[in-house]
Amino acid sequence: MRIVRIGVDTGGTFTDFVISENGRLSTKKLPSTPDDPSRAILEGLREYLEAGPGLVLIHGTTVATNALLERKGSKIALVTTKGFEDILSIGRQTRRLLYSLKGEPRIPLVQRDLCFGIAERTTADGTVERTPPPSAVRTLARTLVRRGVEAAAVSFINAYADGTNEEAVAAELERRGLLVCVSSRLLPEYREYERTSTTAVNAFLMPVLDRYLESLEGGLDKASLFIMQSNEGYISPRKARKEPIRTALSGPAGGVVGSLELARAAGFPEFISFDMGGTSTDVSLVDGDIRRTNENTVGDFPIPLPIIDIHSVGAGGGSIAHIDSGGSLRVGPRSAGADPGPACYGRGEDPTVTDADLVLGRIDPDYFLGGRMVIEPERSRAAIGRLAVRIRKTTLETAQGIVDIANANMEKAIRVISLERGFDPREFALLSFGGAGGMHAADLAASLRMKAVLAPQNAGVLSAFGLLLADSIKDYSRSVLKTVEKTDPAVLERGLQEMEKRGRRDLAEDGFALQAMFFERSVDLRYLGQSYEINVPFPPGGFKSLAEEFHRLHEKTYAYRHARGVVEIVTLRVKARGAAGKIRLRKIPPRPGASAGDAARKIQAIHYRGRAHKGPVYDRSRLSPGLRFDGPALVVDEGSTTFLPPGFALRVDGYHNLIIRKKE
Amino acid sequence: MRKSGDAIELEIFRNLFISIAEEMGAVLGRTGLSPNIKERKDYSCAVFNRRGETLAQGSHIPVHLGAMPLSVQAALGALTFEDGDLVLVNDPYRGGTHLPDITAISPVFVRGRPAFFTANRAHHSDVGGMSPGSMPLATEIFQEGLILPPLKLVSRGRLNEDVLNLILANVRTPEERRGDLLAQIAACEKGRGRVLEAVEKFGLDQVERYAGLIQDYTEIFLRKTLRTISPGTYAFADFLDNDGITEEPVRISVRITVRGGRAKIDFRGSSPQVKGGVNANAAVTISAVLYVFRSLIEEDIPVNTGLLRPLEIVAPPGLIISARFPAATAAGNVETSQRIVDVLLGALAKAMPGRIPAASQGTMNNIALGGIDPVRGRSFAYYETLGGGMGASRERPGLSGVHTHMTNSLNTPLESLEKYLPLRIRAYSLRPGSGGAGANRGGDGLVREYEFGVPTRVTIMSERRVFPPYGLAGGGPGRRGRNILISKGRRTVLGSKSDVTVQAGDVIRIETPGGGGYGPPARKKESR
Repeated sequence: MRIVRIGVDTGGTFTDFVISENGRLSTKKLPSTPDDPSRAILEGLREYLEAGPGLVLIHGTTVATNALLERKGSKIALVTTKGFEDILSIGRQTRRLLYSLKGEPRIPLVQRDLCFGIAERTTADGTVERTPPPSAVRTLARTLVRRGVEAAAVSFINAYADGTNEEAVAAELERRGLLVCVSSRLLPEYREYERTSTTAVNAFLMPVLDRYLESLEGGLDKASLFIMQSNEGYISPRKARKEPIRTALSGPAGGVVGSLELARAAGFPEFISFDMGGTSTDVSLVDGDIRRTNENTVGDFPIPLPIIDIHSVGAGGGSIAHIDSGGSLRVGPRSAGADPGPACYGRGEDPTVTDADLVLGRIDPDYFLGGRMVIEPERSRAAIGRLAVRIRKTTLETAQGIVDIANANMEKAIRVISLERGFDPREFALLSFGGAGGMHAADLAASLRMKAVLAPQNAGVLSAFGLLLADSIKDYSRSVLKTVEKTDPAVLERGLQEMEKRGRRDLAEDGFALQAMFFERSVDLRYLGQSYEINVPFPPGGFKSLAEEFHRLHEKTYAYRHARGVVEIVTLRVKARGAAGKIRLRKIPPRPGASAGDAARKIQAIHYRGRAHKGPVYDRSRLSPGLRFDGPALVVDEGSTTFLPPGFALRVDGYHNLIIRKKE
Repeated sequence: MRKSGDAIELEIFRNLFISIAEEMGAVLGRTGLSPNIKERKDYSCAVFNRRGETLAQGSHIPVHLGAMPLSVQAALGALTFEDGDLVLVNDPYRGGTHLPDITAISPVFVRGRPAFFTANRAHHSDVGGMSPGSMPLATEIFQEGLILPPLKLVSRGRLNEDVLNLILANVRTPEERRGDLLAQIAACEKGRGRVLEAVEKFGLDQVERYAGLIQDYTEIFLRKTLRTISPGTYAFADFLDNDGITEEPVRISVRITVRGGRAKIDFRGSSPQVKGGVNANAAVTISAVLYVFRSLIEEDIPVNTGLLRPLEIVAPPGLIISARFPAATAAGNVETSQRIVDVLLGALAKAMPGRIPAASQGTMNNIALGGIDPVRGRSFAYYETLGGGMGASRERPGLSGVHTHMTNSLNTPLESLEKYLPLRIRAYSLRPGSGGAGANRGGDGLVREYEFGVPTRVTIMSERRVFPPYGLAGGGPGRRGRNILISKGRRTVLGSKSDVTVQAGDVIRIETPGGGGYGPPARKKESR
């Protein structure tokens, strides 16, 4: 039977497709249709849908993220323990800006008159002390229906320890036809604000995803659909409807998965991905495996679910340079975005990082976006020149300064993802993609003394490519909150086995055979009294070596161990993975007799650290694998430009990746 | 530009110094042991030059702002630093503010001499003294807990076990203290490593040069802001409820004279220091002044000693805002500092009409408690503070249920409290209608109810239970806070400062103040 697997990634501008058919890969790009993203998807899929059955679609969507950021989509209610109805307004009782006398308002996701308290109580040890009065619950259900609420979040104090009371309320609300999200099912972990907020966010997204998937599935006929979640795996539409929050940060997830496969093949399984776009930059660290974190936020909302650890900063090629009133040259946080865009686009007057790159010769003005867009280098020079006069520097010095400052901001982001997590960037390669990454990657990697820069082929559709490689992943967790000494290993084992059993059942429902199922056990541990946990893979030595493994990781991350400290088991986790059929990347043999010169389009002026150079501009698609050359040079393709500074060497590997190293 | 700083390098170093302070903070927050550090983030981290002047402080707790450089300077005066040392200090009369705030300082040696310092200050939830949580109703410093003059916890890289043991023997929760102190060491180490990296990369001369220029940079912003104020003298006064020992109100007054990019801040006319623990030392007062003037600047700039240069503070020793040894100071840092801010802003509201908001809750509502937990078989001590209403401004209403001005510590998740302490939180909600009336309403205060499971000693240090937070431009005052004990069905209103031992089943209900309103409230249509 014919099986065509297609990864579809919806972005703000383009919808990307990577199609795998009989082991052959092809790509496709269509303009996105933001009002209903499914239109672009169905349009792109039409030829495959018409060709008959056997279509498997893995979809990365920003529908949830956008709904959250815009707070548009549904009307929800929150049900809490009586006395805690204001929990979303109070949050963690802090103000966002320390030195703002006029506090930045924070608007809760649920309006106050739709937050309801129920007189019930579960204690910290999980004893149900008071059950919800049935009459109050019935009244509540009627009220919600009358008020036109679509979905309800139910989150009671201490429900992480026992969810009986939540379930009782949920049952009644569901009976009345409401969508319900229950905190003890979604996130059975302590910290009432974070759990309640997550539950509310999920409830808010339920109607949104429900409507979106309905419109998409309506056009898909018999194709199988899976939705990418924010860890590295996908889930069924049924699960996505129940736990839509799991898709809320899925955009960059595909990119990281795609990067890992490419980087492994290229011989750099340990890398930091660096996706620098126009307005923001995402970095993520992969130490052979994709790392995950529970400390995430989307907009104002904390989302403590295990998702790929991606650090984002609001700086990119469009960040605007200006002189502040203390006389410092600042880059960002304001961005020129796509409109008016950098000065060279012909509309805006503000100089941006992209303008600096252009002035320094790191962009080929005749081949911007593959020549599809005409840019005006004169406008960049004029805009930067205006700044230069004010700080008594030349235009070129100022342009170099803008680039250096932008790089310093990027370096900070990479430090957060590496050094702050206990990793030394010198042991990693920098994998650069995104429109602006390639112009900055070499300097950045050199400054952090990283191993190399890897600029992959087809960087523009990396996210969609990653979707094809993703597995089906399901996360299970339960709170323990007991010290290692007081824990009975048999009880722990039982807990893990129960979660694995659920995993087997859920994966089987998605059509995975037993031999394609894999389980990873891990435990969140901390010193008794600490409030941050370290996720420790369940060691091969089993329970006995658990504490020692924690001491070791704690020392690695925070530079000290608390040898006499009591170790507490906070959360037990199982990650169930259904392995998808893999794609094998194929090596391309070198073209006999090829030389770099064949691919040179022209020679252009390149300014680097105060010196003028001349360097060739190479057409990436015409570079044969196996070629090597030194900087200064540019390598351009339709979606990106890679800048090879003087003193750096480049090699094209068998997968058409560019690998850049600083020369000794 | 006034001095020959390079606009590009300045920006690189600005980022560098701030990120060092922030990275130290990340380490301290993650490795600290007590809820006050790990959950509430009641700490600050900063980088200093060789003279102990701040280069940048992480965005943590404003009340630590002016005080930390004084700690570093006191340590510099008291002892000789060697490479690999770490010095502790909490003595309010030798660089500290109040005893629970312990500062850890480590030198960064370059070419055989200390060229920079990294330091952090963390609020420890118990440092001994007469009541659990170390926020007692004391009349002299000796009752408030263990006093640490500048001393070496680490000498040349070796932990001084004797010093550590002495500290731990004097506190109620030694394991927690040990963990927090180790975290403070780790944070200093982190900062030290990063400063050394920067020196290696840019050279000592360059880093020191920009350490100076970064202070000039911050100074320029404040001078520019001060020049927007019409020259003149602006006065304001307000009161603390009492000192916890007598019922006498305590006056704080200020006259701010602004002229030509400079300001003189004169606290003469404030009450003399008092018996109870609301005395603030000069370090606290400097912090409050720095906070207020930093807040007038809208740009995102590093907070450092450059802010002090255009300011002259007049505070003769012996006043409530410049207390002398051996005055008790536990609440000076947390409560009196808030009133100093109210008074400064009150005066500035006259100088900069429309740019200053009404008074915020003006207190941190400190709750310290402790006792013996029979189930867990150990003693416990816990400390937290509660948010309240923020004052309204011309542009918008005040925020509700947040920490204001001199602190921004997070709340402790009550699920964590209930898991580890023999008590329960019965309610935690906003206090509707407590914000002052006005065209823009003041923010609402909070309500928090503690139900105790075992006999527990509770100390409350709070303010604005007698004198409400003021409204501005015709706006009404915020509602005053209330502390209530509910025992066997009987409600007793407790004072601003209270020390009570409660029984199992008793409830303490804290209602925090609302913020003041701004502008006259809209008239109701129907007249009454």
